[in-house]
Amino acid sequence: MRRAIAVACLGLCLCFALLKVRSTGADDIAERAHKLHFSSIVLDTHDDTTQRFFSKDFDLGKRNPDGHIDIPRMREGGMNAIFFSIWIDGRIMGPPAVQKALDQIDAVHENVHKFSKDLVFCRTAEEVRRAHAQGKIAALIGVEGGHMIGNDIRALRMYGDLGVRYMTLSHFYNDEWADSSTDKPVHNGLTDFGKDIVREMNRQGIMVDISHVSDKTFYDALEVSKAPLIASHSSCRALCNHVRDMSDDMIKALAAKGGVIQINYEKSFIDQAYKDASEKLSGGVVAQFDQFKKVCGDDQECFGRKMAEQEKQATAEGKLPHVSWERIIEHIDHAVKLAGADHVGLGSDFDGATMPDGMEDCSKLPKITEALLRKGYSEDDIRKILGGNTLRVMEQVERVSREIQSQR
Amino acid sequence: MFKTILSGVLCLSAGAFLVATVTGDDLGTRAHTLHFSAIVVDTHDDTTQRFLDGRFDLGPRNASGSIDIPRMKEGGLSAIFFSIWMPSKVTGPEAVKRALVQIDAVREQIRKHPKDLVLATTNKEIRDAHAQGKIAALMGVEGGHMLGGDLAVLRTYAALGVRYMTLTHSGNVEWADSSTDAPAHNGLAEFGKDVVREMNRLGMIVDISHVSDKTFYDALGVSRAPVFASHSSCRATCDAPRNMTDEMIKALAAKGGVIQINFHVGFLSQEFRNAEKANPEIEKAIAAEVQRRCGGQESCQLIVGDEVTREYVAKGLLPRVDYTKIIEHIDHAVKVSGVDHVGLGSDFDGANMPYGMEDATGLPKITEALLRKGYAEGDIRKILGENTLRVMAEVERVSRELNSAPLK
Repeated sequence: MRRAIAVACLGLCLCFALLKVRSTGADDIAERAHKLHFSSIVLDTHDDTTQRFFSKDFDLGKRNPDGHIDIPRMREGGMNAIFFSIWIDGRIMGPPAVQKALDQIDAVHENVHKFSKDLVFCRTAEEVRRAHAQGKIAALIGVEGGHMIGNDIRALRMYGDLGVRYMTLSHFYNDEWADSSTDKPVHNGLTDFGKDIVREMNRQGIMVDISHVSDKTFYDALEVSKAPLIASHSSCRALCNHVRDMSDDMIKALAAKGGVIQINYEKSFIDQAYKDASEKLSGGVVAQFDQFKKVCGDDQECFGRKMAEQEKQATAEGKLPHVSWERIIEHIDHAVKLAGADHVGLGSDFDGATMPDGMEDCSKLPKITEALLRKGYSEDDIRKILGGNTLRVMEQVERVSREIQSQR
Repeated sequence: MFKTILSGVLCLSAGAFLVATVTGDDLGTRAHTLHFSAIVVDTHDDTTQRFLDGRFDLGPRNASGSIDIPRMKEGGLSAIFFSIWMPSKVTGPEAVKRALVQIDAVREQIRKHPKDLVLATTNKEIRDAHAQGKIAALMGVEGGHMLGGDLAVLRTYAALGVRYMTLTHSGNVEWADSSTDAPAHNGLAEFGKDVVREMNRLGMIVDISHVSDKTFYDALGVSRAPVFASHSSCRATCDAPRNMTDEMIKALAAKGGVIQINFHVGFLSQEFRNAEKANPEIEKAIAAEVQRRCGGQESCQLIVGDEVTREYVAKGLLPRVDYTKIIEHIDHAVKVSGVDHVGLGSDFDGANMPYGMEDATGLPKITEALLRKGYAEGDIRKILGENTLRVMAEVERVSRELNSAPLK
């Protein structure tokens, strides 16, 4: 009897154990995803947090109730390499644009200095890897718009010396030498001077970023550049027909030269229904931008706040549809199917765009890893998308720079 | 046989004669050995202006001006501060951008001549360069008007390698009075004091050449590190507001600083200065001639100004000043403050050079003259460069201290 009970117990135990194994099996992916995500270099090529450095209320070291980026949330989201964007209104040009850009570059350096326990400034892929090995977040800089060089190749070189590692050739407006995707073409793409700028970027080891530029500018830059290019924050036009996104042809051409499309999470760029509703409501991203500018002037904190408020209200009123974070996965998957897993990465646009539901801030990034794993992506491919691809482009850009400089 | 003996005697006597003259010139040999083994630092050269015209190159020996690589080597110049300069009427973002362009021009020259030049930003890097047989290239910003009233810009200059800033040039800035302008701030304004403090933090040497006496004393009071006068001579010997009084030299020395003697004839020779004052039409005629030959081109003006002044000296219209005047100023400053507080700040390519010091090849004469005057070899090494290296080391130490202090 006792024995019988004991056997029954054993049987029950075995049953439980089996059951447990099976339920762990179901969540095995979550655990694998967690391990994978937090052992990977997760590199985001576009964050507008720099603007917040000028606000007295913002502290990168503390968890903030608003916005998308700070050190605690980067830690929570396993984000360990970030490109802080240097950005000013594309209509500011000449020397004032240069000085404002310098102010922002300085603000990034000062914040890295202030939080040197968590952040380390990086210029190369090797430095990013070293930062990761030390458990630090790699801070990098990208200049978002050619208007900030004051039409002077020498200012570009100084940005390179100050640690800038990519430059977007234009922002919303054409600059003196490149057409933007959201302005009327005047240069038929890249002017001769614009081509010289691309060549100088190759020489300096600064990545050429073709987000924001017109399709013609993209193809011109692709042809001139001796090193692979990136789109630091653009998504797929096939899924959401926005000029800021890339057509399938463009993605393929970018990949053929070794480049990477860094998927942007902005709702207007990833969801057609949202984009259509948003344009109906406020006339598109540039018009929306100008509308906030009227209210906020140059106060970027106000910009972010107004944008979030308006967006929240319009969504609550049903004027704007909800967009799930899973759209990001769709864009990644589309680009991977087109160009292969070697040519897709992450360029969130955190602190500079409206985020889809479920990707409220950078603490949600592990979801991307898990979703890709569930979709059947290999761990290696996921590591590439999370950051490996961008590091590869950086290494190639560095190599081309060394080659050009040694030819002298 | 006799012939042989005779020729032997002749040879011997010729030999004895040779020995005698060599003994007479033993000092010459000692001076040569001393000069070419010492680290010779020049804290002020305006050659940067010449880089901007796109034709001048530091590589070949140039027929005009005072500085290029062959002549620096011939003169044993081991470290040179290239001055970043524009007239003080240029202010705001325009001045910032132009300064950036000049910093780029210096860095491009260094990139272009990697066998001969190396960018140095610390005293150790100067010593390393010297040990490798390379010329250390450094940068100083000559005038606070290039800050655009913006500490971020100051930090940017430091990040790009600038190691001193002269608080003003010929005109007052918004926060400091110049020695050659009507006082407007009673020395250093509050923001000016912040500039000095930030320079201390950044490890930039505070340069008090060009500033008003009151600005000098204010800066000396605020700075936690020694300050220097990058190119000023002694007012007791030549009464120019650009020069320093004995009292100022003593105060500078008491805080560990260095007066770098300027070779400009108008600052060396009272006689020259008197002649200029007595004949203002000569100065006007020289200015007109310079304008005629150069137009508005500043690099040309600086070089041609020296040439035209020489023509007036040759005609007997202005007194001839010899390089020995430099020795008089060095000796005066040494007598006032001791040998630890005097150095060289030629103002080559930016001023009118005395006879015998037309260019950098004349520098060994200074070593020989001091040796002949009875200066100890160790003391001469200090004047040639070691004093400046000591100030740099001290400025670097203060910077490290300030940066390791807990952040506010």
